[in-house]
Amino acid sequence: MAFTMRAVKVQPSSASLEEARHRVFDFFKTACRSLPSIMEIYNLDDVVTISQLRSNISAQIRKNAHITNPKVIDMLLLKGDEELSNITEHAKQRHHIIGQYVVEHSGPHDKGSTKDPSTSEFLKNFYTSNYF
Amino acid sequence: MASVSATFVSFGCSFNQTKCITAGKNCTISLGMRNRTLTAVRFPRLRVSCSAKPETVTKVMEIVKKQLALNDDVPLKPESKFSELGADSLDTVEIVMIMEEEFGITVEEDNSQSITTVQEAAELIDKLVAAKPDQPASESEQKSEAIS
Repeated sequence: MAFTMRAVKVQPSSASLEEARHRVFDFFKTACRSLPSIMEIYNLDDVVTISQLRSNISAQIRKNAHITNPKVIDMLLLKGDEELSNITEHAKQRHHIIGQYVVEHSGPHDKGSTKDPSTSEFLKNFYTSNYF
Repeated sequence: MASVSATFVSFGCSFNQTKCITAGKNCTISLGMRNRTLTAVRFPRLRVSCSAKPETVTKVMEIVKKQLALNDDVPLKPESKFSELGADSLDTVEIVMIMEEEFGITVEEDNSQSITTVQEAAELIDKLVAAKPDQPASESEQKSEAIS
């Protein structure tokens, strides 16, 4: 499999929030358009559908939706571009993709609940952080 | 048959009366006066061929409903704006991408900005689907003109 180096171009930083928003949408569109080839590279057809991956991507974008600083958005997009290049040039492996984008895990307290099914609020808070 | 119905669509597009031919219920009211004769001639033909447009509209509405996780009692009309239904800008882009995948088209940057309602999305889709197979569409357009 040819290893094609896709250079992640560093663009001049966004002037405004509007421009940053455009960049986010461009990134999302690029990611969605490369989904079919990703499914083929990693043979994900029996594990997940394209629409599930797409909603996963949009959920991750939405997690950072509250950010208003264009420079921070640019940085996040840079990381996103890097991740997308890694995935599309097969630098990752199937179990990486499945673990990171298919399986849903909601934090340490979830694992705790399977081992010890206590409904204690104290323990739940304790698992998430030191301060509560 | 798919290409034939697409030509009917593109035939309608050339008159720029897409809304008129889409769904008889709401178009003839708005543009009935001018185009009464035209629609009277063209409707029987459209009824016979599966008119792509109402199907497209229903498909788009299904996509929107699933994407925004709307309940069944939410009124979903072709004219409803995405923002009214609780979609933010990322939702709109995502809906456009789902339509791209579903219909096998590519929406250009400037086109996607103008989509705010379900109706606009369906029209854009039909335009792109009709523009896609350019060669066979123009040939059968000549044929249909010969028939008519």
